[in-house]
Amino acid sequence: MKDEHSAKADVLQGTLVLLVLRTLEALGPLHGYGIARRIEQISKELLQLNQGTLYPALLRMEQEGWITSKWGASEKNRKAKFYSISSGGRKQLARETKDWERMRSTIDRFLGSIPETLGDEARSGTP
Amino acid sequence: MSWPRVFAARVRGLVFRSRLDSQLEDELRFHLEMQAEDNVRIGMNPAEARYDAARRFGGMESVKEEYRQHRTFAAIETLFRDMRYAARTLGRNPAFTLVAVMTLALGIGVNAAVFTVTNAVLFKGFSYIERSDRILYMTSSEGCCVSYPDFEDWRAQAKSFEGMAIVHGVQVTLSDKGGFPEYRYATEVSADTFRLIGREPILGRDFTKSDEIPSAAPVAILNYSFWESRFGKDPSIVGRTVRINGAPATVVGVMPPGFIFPQNQDLWVPLVPTPNVLKRANRDTWFVFGRMADGVTIQSARAEMETIGRRLEQAYPLTNKGFPPVVRDFAGFYIGPNASVIYGSLWGAVGFVLLIACANLANLMLARALGRSREISVRMALGAGRWRVVRQLLIESLMLSALGGFFGWWIAKWGVRAWELASRSRGYSWFDHVLDYTLDYRVLVYLIAVSAGAALLFGLAPALRLSKLDVNATLKDGGRGSTGGAHGNRLSALLVVAEMALAVILLAGAGVMIRSYLNTYSADIGVQAVKILTGIPNLAASRYPDARARISFYDRLQTSLEAIPGVESVALASTIPMMGAARLSYALDGATPVDEQSRPALSAVTIGPGYFRTLGAAVLSGRDFNDADGFSAPRVAIVNQRFARRFWPGEDPLGKRFRLFSGNTPEAWLTVVGVVSNILQSDMARPELNSLVYLPWRQMAAGDMNVLVRTSVPPGSLRTTFRNEVHALYSDMPMFGPFTLIERLQTRYWDKARYAVLFLIFAGVALLLASVGLYAVIAYSVSRRTQEMGIRMALGAAARDMLSLVFREGMFPVGIGLAIGLAASLAVNRVLKAELVQVSPGDPVALAAASATLILAAVLGCLIPARRAMRVEPAVALRHD
Repeated sequence: MKDEHSAKADVLQGTLVLLVLRTLEALGPLHGYGIARRIEQISKELLQLNQGTLYPALLRMEQEGWITSKWGASEKNRKAKFYSISSGGRKQLARETKDWERMRSTIDRFLGSIPETLGDEARSGTP
Repeated sequence: MSWPRVFAARVRGLVFRSRLDSQLEDELRFHLEMQAEDNVRIGMNPAEARYDAARRFGGMESVKEEYRQHRTFAAIETLFRDMRYAARTLGRNPAFTLVAVMTLALGIGVNAAVFTVTNAVLFKGFSYIERSDRILYMTSSEGCCVSYPDFEDWRAQAKSFEGMAIVHGVQVTLSDKGGFPEYRYATEVSADTFRLIGREPILGRDFTKSDEIPSAAPVAILNYSFWESRFGKDPSIVGRTVRINGAPATVVGVMPPGFIFPQNQDLWVPLVPTPNVLKRANRDTWFVFGRMADGVTIQSARAEMETIGRRLEQAYPLTNKGFPPVVRDFAGFYIGPNASVIYGSLWGAVGFVLLIACANLANLMLARALGRSREISVRMALGAGRWRVVRQLLIESLMLSALGGFFGWWIAKWGVRAWELASRSRGYSWFDHVLDYTLDYRVLVYLIAVSAGAALLFGLAPALRLSKLDVNATLKDGGRGSTGGAHGNRLSALLVVAEMALAVILLAGAGVMIRSYLNTYSADIGVQAVKILTGIPNLAASRYPDARARISFYDRLQTSLEAIPGVESVALASTIPMMGAARLSYALDGATPVDEQSRPALSAVTIGPGYFRTLGAAVLSGRDFNDADGFSAPRVAIVNQRFARRFWPGEDPLGKRFRLFSGNTPEAWLTVVGVVSNILQSDMARPELNSLVYLPWRQMAAGDMNVLVRTSVPPGSLRTTFRNEVHALYSDMPMFGPFTLIERLQTRYWDKARYAVLFLIFAGVALLLASVGLYAVIAYSVSRRTQEMGIRMALGAAARDMLSLVFREGMFPVGIGLAIGLAASLAVNRVLKAELVQVSPGDPVALAAASATLILAAVLGCLIPARRAMRVEPAVALRHD
């Protein structure tokens, strides 16, 4: 059942996992709406999050054992599901952060080291 | 990825599916409400706030879908959903579902039934024997019978066997202190029979070598159910004395419950080699069986036995020439050498039935699928993948075949039950008692496999066709679903051709089987069996002490029977055709004298004058017996053609002489005065037993005679008159019968009859399915062409033209199918050749009957839709969508 669609989703979710784990590590237990709001607040204008996609991602993270969930009362005393980061989640956060750093530095190196003219040469070199 | 944890989580997800579903709903609702509230707080009006919350959230349904996919195994989840959808679809169309399920149930049911029967015969074998597959059964010549000296030589010389034992069935009178004497079935066996089989008595002891010595005290071992019914499971039975045939015998043991060997008998006694048993010409015992030694195959055992047989033929040519040992496994022995032909053709027949059922289903699915092309197009337009569509349709097919399989199981169960009852009530196929017809796990596995296979067979083609729909064209077409119609029609016509061809093959096969069965009476036996009534009056020795009294009784009976209106002729015979013949020691004139032990035997029937005329056989040369052939006249005999050809080839048998022996004393010479056409007294397969000598009854001191009456009226109608005439002579005389000759022969030929009937049933089912299939295709086509027909009629076509339009469409594939089927049946029927009696595999009568039946059924299948076509109202049809 692997097709192009889910391959694209994987990339997105990779980032999403990082964001969620980081949010939960920083703020402690939060419900889904809280996580979504937080991500939106932090990344306003830069990351247009489709809030709905958060929930399948939360499910997967829980299945992997990175976060745990518990039903509890919200600030307005309504029933809500609260997610918190587990020790496995902290390790995963460290791993993902490192991966992200490495990726970012690689991309940075690429963007910094290739002058625009080289790109033109490469284009004209191929028929 | 830590897959075990994910897997466990998903299993939980699967189990708690509905609870998790509602939790997700709660969670998402909470999310939306929170967002809306926050929106209100920053100044939106409530409607705007809700709208914005929904927009930010994105596609609610696709989120749920994705969530569900990850929560548990996506494939299983969608499978459940597809199944629910399929169940709803099928439930909405109960007529279609009913026809489809019943068609499949028939197809699958007959297959499972035949599998069960075959399973019992070919795979389970003799369920009461340890390692039944290592046991071989031996006779001298086809069918039965071994002489004791031959058995002793085989046992002494054959190295292929751990041991050998001989078996013979007898009827005995049994009496004990508690009850009256009664007839019981006993089996005489060698002392080590049970040891070779691998079973022991549950009570008392097994036979020992010393029980076999002629001077030993008689002993018996009881069948468990006989012990239960006759002695109330009394454990003190062991050691008790009962009288068997008047002589005291000690019960030494009881066999375990359910154990029978080789048929359904009441007790076993040791086979004691008396001087009479020790004659090499006396082939009276049933058969010999042996357990193969390690590493021996049936081929090597057979080869060794054939060598031994050749040695014995050279050593004892008079008794053993033409009696080679025949070595068979269980199926070959119990069912006959044609077991594989019979069962193979049954499998073929039910396979064809299933194929026809599948073709029908494929057609129905195809028609339905094309009708649903708009629905499918919409689904595909909304993003359903091709695999998803194919899978959805296949699941529908699987559900249908699962239902069909479920009902098929019951059809098989009842079918096998009916077969079992029919087999056992007729009582002649003695081996039926040893077969185990329960539907075991093997049948279940087979049934599931067949059902699944059928679903793929009939579901795949329509599903694939549909998944290739041109979505745009179909949607633009206004949903009439005519896209691919031409292809669909061609495919369904092809399926009809195949169905018809298969049905013709089955009908033709059943036809030749039935013809063959009918032939066994007239052509095979050599008599005209219809319109003959036969009975055996029982002449008490006290009232009819000598030959003179007996002759006088029969003379008076014959005279009074001949006077009845509707009686054409009356004759006497010691046995009737197919019921065996006496085996008498003899010597031909001019043969070298031999000692008593190796003197040959011939088969003889004692008859009165007019026997051949009454049975419709012919005296070919010389004369029939007459009333002058009495004790004072010269001793005479009549031989049949087989006998003449065997002993005096190329010579005139008239005037030849031979004589019989009583014990070691030769009797008077008999002179051959006539040669008659062949009448069978035993199985066709045993020609040596059908080389017959006929002796005049007035010269032979015979026992009770069969009285045969040829009638011009239906023979059954004279039963009472026959009985009255006997009782007019002696009012209390017991009598066997009277039965019609057909009734008596039926039991002999029951086995052939039941296979013929079975074939006919399968062919009938096939024909039914095929014509229902044709009907469905034509009816569907007519309903789709209603508009076209309306136009044609509006333009002046007559109802008759509509009729011919429909019939042309329907009968064209039928015609092609018929032609293919007839050609194929010529080849297929050749397989049956070994089973056929005097019918060629391409018997024109059978083929013509099969064709006529098929065409008739096809016409019926076309007629109903054709009538609908004729009644089309142009005005209505033109508005028809």
